[in-house]
Amino acid sequence: SPPDSFKSEGKEIKMARSAKTALVLCLDVGFSMSNSAPGQEPPFQQAKKVIQKFVQRQVFAENKDELGLVLFGSDNTKNNLAKDDQYQNISVHRQLMIPNFELLEEIQNDVHPGSQQADWLDALVVCMDLLQNETLGKKYERLNIVMLTDLNTPSSPDQLDIIIGNLKRAGITLQFFLPFPVDGGGSNPPHGGKALSREQQQGLEMTKQVMMSLDEEDGLEEVYTFSDAIEKLSVFKRVEKRPMAWPCTLTIGSSLAIKIVGYKAVCEERPRKSWSVVDAQTHQKDDIKRDVVYCLNDDEETEVQKDDTIQGYRYGSDIVPFSKVDQDQMKYKTDGKSFAVLGFTKQSMINRHQFVGTQVLKVFAPKDDEHAGVALSGLIRALDDLKMVAVVRYVYARNGNPQLGAAFPCIKEKYECLVYIQLPFMEDLRQYSFPSLENNKKYTPSEDQLSAVDSLIDSMMLVEEDKDGVKKDLFKVNHIPNPQYQRLFQCLHHRAVNPSAPLPPMDPWLTTALQRPLAVATRCQAPLEILKKKFPLKEVVKKKELKTSKELFGNSCLGTGRSNQIYLYSPSYITMQVKA
Amino acid sequence: MAQWNDYHHEDEDVDGEERDESGVDYKSTGRDSLVFLVDASKEMFIMGEDEEPSPFDMTMQCVRSVYTSKIISSDKDLVALVFYGTEQSKNPRNSFKHVYIYHDLDLPGARRVQDVDGLRGEKGAQVAGETMGSGNTNLGEALWCCSNLYSDIKLRLSHKRLMIFTCRDTPHGGDSERDRQARTKASDLKETGVVIDLMHLMKPGGFDVSLFFCDVVSPPEDEAELGLQMEPCGKLEDLQKRVRAKEMKKRSVARLNLCLGEGMNVAVGVYITALQARKPNAIKLYRDNNEPVRTKTRLYHTQTGSLLLPSDTKRVQVYAGRQIVMEKDEVDVIKKFSDPGLELIGFKPMERLKLHHHLRSAVFIYPEEEMVTGSACVFTALLRRCSVRNVFALCKYTRIRNSPPRFLALVPQKEEVDDGQAQIAAPGFHGIFLPYADDIRTLDTPQLPTASESQVDKMKEIVHKLRFKYRSDAFENPVLQQHYRNLEALALDLMAPEHIEDLTMPNVNMIDQRLGSLAQEFRDLVYPADYNPEGKTAPKRKPAEAAGGTEKKPKVEMSEDELRGHVQKGNLGKLTVPVLKDACKQFGVKVTGTKKQELIDALTAQLTK
Repeated sequence: SPPDSFKSEGKEIKMARSAKTALVLCLDVGFSMSNSAPGQEPPFQQAKKVIQKFVQRQVFAENKDELGLVLFGSDNTKNNLAKDDQYQNISVHRQLMIPNFELLEEIQNDVHPGSQQADWLDALVVCMDLLQNETLGKKYERLNIVMLTDLNTPSSPDQLDIIIGNLKRAGITLQFFLPFPVDGGGSNPPHGGKALSREQQQGLEMTKQVMMSLDEEDGLEEVYTFSDAIEKLSVFKRVEKRPMAWPCTLTIGSSLAIKIVGYKAVCEERPRKSWSVVDAQTHQKDDIKRDVVYCLNDDEETEVQKDDTIQGYRYGSDIVPFSKVDQDQMKYKTDGKSFAVLGFTKQSMINRHQFVGTQVLKVFAPKDDEHAGVALSGLIRALDDLKMVAVVRYVYARNGNPQLGAAFPCIKEKYECLVYIQLPFMEDLRQYSFPSLENNKKYTPSEDQLSAVDSLIDSMMLVEEDKDGVKKDLFKVNHIPNPQYQRLFQCLHHRAVNPSAPLPPMDPWLTTALQRPLAVATRCQAPLEILKKKFPLKEVVKKKELKTSKELFGNSCLGTGRSNQIYLYSPSYITMQVKA
Repeated sequence: MAQWNDYHHEDEDVDGEERDESGVDYKSTGRDSLVFLVDASKEMFIMGEDEEPSPFDMTMQCVRSVYTSKIISSDKDLVALVFYGTEQSKNPRNSFKHVYIYHDLDLPGARRVQDVDGLRGEKGAQVAGETMGSGNTNLGEALWCCSNLYSDIKLRLSHKRLMIFTCRDTPHGGDSERDRQARTKASDLKETGVVIDLMHLMKPGGFDVSLFFCDVVSPPEDEAELGLQMEPCGKLEDLQKRVRAKEMKKRSVARLNLCLGEGMNVAVGVYITALQARKPNAIKLYRDNNEPVRTKTRLYHTQTGSLLLPSDTKRVQVYAGRQIVMEKDEVDVIKKFSDPGLELIGFKPMERLKLHHHLRSAVFIYPEEEMVTGSACVFTALLRRCSVRNVFALCKYTRIRNSPPRFLALVPQKEEVDDGQAQIAAPGFHGIFLPYADDIRTLDTPQLPTASESQVDKMKEIVHKLRFKYRSDAFENPVLQQHYRNLEALALDLMAPEHIEDLTMPNVNMIDQRLGSLAQEFRDLVYPADYNPEGKTAPKRKPAEAAGGTEKKPKVEMSEDELRGHVQKGNLGKLTVPVLKDACKQFGVKVTGTKKQELIDALTAQLTK
């Protein structure tokens, strides 16, 4: 799979919060890193971007992971091992620390390409030394070195075995970020670039050797290209929340009970932090106070004290004083959590468009209870065979509001569960009726028109079969990160580092990710033109709105022109998602 | 299969009453108004066969359910109840004979619900006979009287509707002069924007609309609807359905363009058809007169005390110790991605829509021919083909200017009508909100053994025994119902709120009875003898005795303000000893004794310091 992140995040979600990673970024700033084919970004700039995006992500994640930065090929030398002519032009720029905005600014302003070269293996040794010295006596979940280089320096392979031995002993993992792909090297020049130099070919061989010795099977998967990494790291990763278990008992009548555990499986994720209001001058929250006053509905708007008010509710035309105490005593009460089956009904009786609520629960048996597992499996499989669902009363906790919901059977290759979704109460439904579209001659499309619609659908199918008969989805919404938060974090980061600059334009990859895939956009052009001819549409302009409509019309012309240009960007993000 | 109610009420008397029609909190722009014009002639009081309620009784049940639903869902709407064909007359200046205004055009309240209750059933018929009686019919006069109701209202009315409930197709018995007068008055009303509906009820020999009423009622919304209204209602349920469908004005939450591609914009309305109804917020009342007070929020500078304008503030988030500052406008504008609208991305086979991809209530999409002519035709073609080919349309949805985009699966729904020609499924697309990557959580799924065939088969028997026919409108929200019954009781000074039946509670006895030995058999198949499926996890409690009962009441925390209020008014005595004790603890009041008065004195002393 493509690099989703450096090893400091990723699969460790389940571990205790205290577990932290120590990670050293080892960046080649040697002069060959500035070389690039005309029109291409030099490897140094690409590598710097990778680092910036990664550090930025770490800063916003606000975890305890520590980060060091080592530059090699630098004009100066600053490291513990430097002696005589050894370990020259390697500079420890920053010791292990929790990353912050200062580090980001340093990278932006102080990390420049150098005019020297240094052996990347030497740099690796410096990083190992740094990691071992600074983590001594402290507990870390993982030690990791991230090497960003073009491998364009001669290195001596004699020490390689010793280095590998030391890495293994210290439990240090490695990741490589290169300007070219690990398997596309050799004499074939990678996408339009130069062929690899002899040093690079040799370096690549050594890289492979190191990585394979650390992890025989998946070692090479930890070697990435700069461009892949930039793309992946552009996506702000949400901070994973530990799923909260909801233990309960599923009951069918009074004599059948199955122990269960529910987890939120789908739910609209919101950012952890919200905006607070501050004084525009001082930027201090405490300088502002919000104050609520109560006043009578008279002409003078006479103010009254809060103490002189009581609580009430409207009941149609009546206003009923109803104190909190009374209300609490008279209100509907539930006695604790519940997942009680009321009965079973056909799945076809449940309309998915009538689902309410804001979450989906997946219900399993507790992981150490195989008897419950078997019992629940019995229910799940019975429901699945019969195409039925359980209608249940769900109460989250004592005095929580009861819900009515459907528990659907869900059988996957790796697990079985019930999927619980809330159903509406009668009060939640608006039973509107709409004029028929079928029996209205004015709106009845001709056969000709229907077939035009058919060709549009054909040209715009997002799921297609490739030549091996494998179905491919060109647009998976559940693979797109929520654009609202991507944009928010992009702006937050930009503003944090450039406090006085205006907000940046939207990341192009984000705009592209939200649009019709290029292939579909191209394919549907012709059917769309036909459709336009077959279905005359005319905007009804109301007299009052005439002027604004004109303005709108002008704007929308501009808008579509712009979005057309955006279609021309390669939707690489989406294709990447499909691959993943 | 049994209907839910029958299933739930097995071994009980099926009581089909009190189907309050209710809806959701809904932001309305204007006031809707609805006048019930009900025939009070003798024919209306004749009971149907098999103890079917009389047309009058059915109408009153309908009126009641509309009243209560308005209170819950749209408490700004105005409703009136007027009878015609009465012996007595009651209207301003009594200028209209045989017209009885029972309720003026106003908000429905508890008293009115009670009034209508009084007209239900046999006793109600008696009451109606005594107060109004049955007499001559002059529908023209009645319509005139109703038009005065509308013109007397000072508020702006956005939607005016009048429903005539009758079982007589020739109300004036062939008096052509009165027929003509009624038609004239009806067209006057329609000219002022009143929509007139006929809710005609079963009559021996059939109800012939063409004899008279076809010229009185408003023309249908579209030509296709013409056929629908011809069947009279014989059942309460049908009548309620028909009234319900008409009674609420459809309001779209947005009117947008569905953009199929550049230069191809179809106008659509976005409607909400299911949304969780919640208890309304409490309002603050002035203690002395129980009148609502208004709240004003002010921002001021802590140091200088000067009032601040919104422009005197900025917005801040803190990350890694650094304050990141933005203008309010910037915070808003970063949420903007595109102009409001629905943008077609493409189509996918229906099986690609995953059941568990659910985030919030769906929306309903229907064409807006008045905005872009031709929209309905494109829409219909798209709806038909999507439906036939079993595909959904994937769209990007931007509701308002600064709302970030969400993706919707537009699932086609064909129109369906029931035997009585009432619509049960409207034609249009349901817009299902799809989750983004962030909205889907990674779960650690347990590895557990699965059930054997015999175990599954036993469970199938259990499932079989407990089948019922689910209907989405069969379950009332017990929390809301209890809340409104409480308010009703307080408003009407009832001794206790009317009992609510909690339909979300499993009928344990019925289930146990139906399962018989099956439960034990299944347990024997899946659980070892020493296994207790109810162990460890919270002990199972017996279902609550009706509302409260014996269980210990949870501690109620009182705010200081409330307590002060009690002290000032001197009605601490009305609180119970445990509540007072808790209050003492809460406010750190030391008490030496445990007598009620001692507690009250201690609290009073503390709070009047």
